[in-house]
Amino acid sequence: MQKAPSVVGARVKRFDAEDKVAGRTLYPSDKTVPGMLWVEVVRAAHPHARILSIDIEPALQVPGVVRVLTHRDVPGENAFGIQIQDMPVLCHDRVRYLGDAVALVGAETRAAAREAAQKVRVEYEVLEPVTDPELAMLPGAVALHPKGNILHEGHFNKGDVEAGFGRCAVVIENTYQVPMIDHAFLETEAGIAYYDENGRLTVDACGQYIYRDQTQIARALGLPLHQVRVMSPIVGGAFGGKDEVTVQIHLALMTFHTRRPCRMVATREESLISHTKRHPVTMSYKTGADRKGNLICVQARFVADTGAYASLGGPVLNVMMEHAAGPYRVPNVKVDGYAVYTNNGFSGAFRGFGCTQACVGMESQMDLMAEALRMDPLKFREQNVLVKGDRAGLDYPMTCEVGALRTVRSARRGALYRSRRRKAPARALSPSLAPFVRRGVGVATQMQGLGLGIGIPDYAEVGLDLRPDGTVVLRAGTNEIGQGAYTAYLQILSGCLGVPLERLSIIGADTARTPDSGTTTASRTIFAVGKAVELAAEKLERVLGERAERVFGWAPGPAKLRGEQLEGTGGRRPLRELLGEETLSVQAVFHVPVAEREMGDGLPHRFYSFGTHVAEVEVNTLTGEIAVTSVEAHLDGGKVISRAGFEGQSEGGIAQGIGYALMEEVRLEKGRFLTTNFHTYVIPTSLDVPEWVRTIPVEVREPEGPFGAKGISETAMVGVTPAVLNAIADAVGVRFFRLPVRAEDVLAALREKKS
Amino acid sequence: MTLTIHLTLNGAPAVFEVEPEERLVHTLRERAGLTGTKLGCGIGECGACSVLLDGKLVPSCLVLSAQADGHEVTTIEGLSQKGLNDLQRAFVEEGAVQCGYCTPGMIMAGEAVLRRYQRPTTQQIRAGIAGNLCRCTGYAKIVSAIRKTARRRAHRRSGR
Repeated sequence: MQKAPSVVGARVKRFDAEDKVAGRTLYPSDKTVPGMLWVEVVRAAHPHARILSIDIEPALQVPGVVRVLTHRDVPGENAFGIQIQDMPVLCHDRVRYLGDAVALVGAETRAAAREAAQKVRVEYEVLEPVTDPELAMLPGAVALHPKGNILHEGHFNKGDVEAGFGRCAVVIENTYQVPMIDHAFLETEAGIAYYDENGRLTVDACGQYIYRDQTQIARALGLPLHQVRVMSPIVGGAFGGKDEVTVQIHLALMTFHTRRPCRMVATREESLISHTKRHPVTMSYKTGADRKGNLICVQARFVADTGAYASLGGPVLNVMMEHAAGPYRVPNVKVDGYAVYTNNGFSGAFRGFGCTQACVGMESQMDLMAEALRMDPLKFREQNVLVKGDRAGLDYPMTCEVGALRTVRSARRGALYRSRRRKAPARALSPSLAPFVRRGVGVATQMQGLGLGIGIPDYAEVGLDLRPDGTVVLRAGTNEIGQGAYTAYLQILSGCLGVPLERLSIIGADTARTPDSGTTTASRTIFAVGKAVELAAEKLERVLGERAERVFGWAPGPAKLRGEQLEGTGGRRPLRELLGEETLSVQAVFHVPVAEREMGDGLPHRFYSFGTHVAEVEVNTLTGEIAVTSVEAHLDGGKVISRAGFEGQSEGGIAQGIGYALMEEVRLEKGRFLTTNFHTYVIPTSLDVPEWVRTIPVEVREPEGPFGAKGISETAMVGVTPAVLNAIADAVGVRFFRLPVRAEDVLAALREKKS
Repeated sequence: MTLTIHLTLNGAPAVFEVEPEERLVHTLRERAGLTGTKLGCGIGECGACSVLLDGKLVPSCLVLSAQADGHEVTTIEGLSQKGLNDLQRAFVEEGAVQCGYCTPGMIMAGEAVLRRYQRPTTQQIRAGIAGNLCRCTGYAKIVSAIRKTARRRAHRRSGR
């Protein structure tokens, strides 16, 4: 691995920041096309019902309405879904959740479209909603899909847990419940569709993988791929919530039928109802360790409520099971998992992708075992944490670089952890409150699979266009969803070519112009796309060398760009003498290496990121209020490419982890949403995050990644939630098994403890 | 029936024909084409649509366009008419921007904090932007950017 040049790891300005602060950036919700129609969706009136009839006539009478579409108007396959296509584009005979689309209205104004949407008459036979996944799994339960309600199950056994528990000095058994939560990206689902100058049906909308969106649109419309173009360069946040198709097929369908450009922008209410969520899961954990503090057994059972449709429910469950035993060496592991269909919305990808839930259970168990053993929580983790070559929970070797131990040691040395014995609050609101406020410090250690895992194609292709003036355009197919990956790609490119950032630019996410760089998910982009950038840069220098050999008669060898000059074996020559006015383009592809043996879809991963979070809370015992006052994140994402981006991921992850621990819950009653906007679905504000946050990179370089980089976006969030839970337990001696932990829960628990 | 409203929009007179129930965010985004002002929730909970109305921070989704008649409206576009202002530059320098959808509203809220307090404390800054949701950044770098701008403005003032 080469030594990283200074631009790699530097704190640079994001390439998109100036446009964003000026309000100049056009997001999917900002885009318009002359002559466009507004499209509104008629959604299900019941979470579970049979459709008896659909009458669009009254809607067509509304002035300004151009077209109303139903399932009869879907020319291709009326089904979509990333993994299994079990979700109708427009429902035909049955609705399975409130977000289900039954009809689409296209009208000259949004007001007309809305009015007409109200007038589409759908006659239903209302069915009892299936809301309890445990009951839905039982034989004889009403089946929501032809193959029954179990979307996916997995069963793994390593060693012998029964015998193992017999050897344990401590055995801890608990059931944890984690809620459904929403991504709450600030920009709701939106976009436009139109026919481009080449007659391609073009969708410019939010998303996380343009090439898969293209496939899903083409399949539903019965079109060949080349007649569909998808663009999605800049997106107002996603976190997994825009991974599945949202508006794309509906936009394309209306434009296809009307030949008119179309626009959709979801309201927040619609957004909260319709897109995927984080799976609510009931997790039963039984874990044990011997007297010396060695982990002996982990037994876990997960029942994940996957809601109405598959989306990525299967792979999410797989990742949950993969990470059930955390980043630890455990000889005996038994994991059983079920992802079950219900009428509770529908769940799919969300930052952490199943690992988030498992980590809440396992890291709570780790603290409980440490406590029973009278061991220091981090010492206990240090003793059990995986190192390279160890066999992971599900019994496969860890062949990547493993920084888990270094993150634990870094956390042990950190100021926050060393202060954990101090119980007095540092920042209580007023001195008179101080006697009633308890301080606590908690930790959590975590690993997170990087990329899509074995069995799911995971590759990244990028292109470079070298202009005769020596400037270079990078073409990458992933989306800029806020994470800052485009900036990091340019830093990698600058580092490889030695060309300063100001001479580099990027074209992002357009199937007509950018190659398939894969998904913008799974903490994979800096690792996979960044590596492809590195390969493309090497190829560019090789091709330049070959041309220079041919044209200038230089000796064989790569040639480097030096401003408008080319430098190689034969010295320096102006680049224009080689290229004339031509643009030289190269492409390169990186296939992410995979594990030795496949154990299920995407299972296991070959590469992981690691992290140890330390959280400090202050709990007001009079009111039950919890304040997270400080967090330290010790994160191994390999070599850091973009320092500000790395910290930004960490700080944002801390806020989301706090939200999951203390505030957020999508509440449903019989399949109907009670949380309909930000007044009822409450996410952290500036007053809910700690004033003091610190991100400490633990840079264990991964030789397979660009300059040794991995990814960090999920690891940055996942450990925060259990660290906060462990800190609460440390502060008040009460442990919570159900999220979110609200002030009233704390008060009730403290009262119970007293009596 | 439509109404005619007269605004001073980003320092210049502007006239719009609006619906009686139309909200200011709609007039700005859909009629004036000022899409820097974002719409995140429509009920005044997220702050993405924040603008200054006669210098006061308001969520433009809760202001009827008719209410703004005769008043002065400043949007994010109005801050950078002569290039990025100091607060916008600080957002860039501090890395306070990720997806950027909350950013214009957040900058308007930051601007309001800086106009209200000459030397805001961290707590005053945090409270001042508490009505603006950000899902990406965790707010830390946003607070730093506002604090940095406060320091720079104080320095400039004392230099005069």
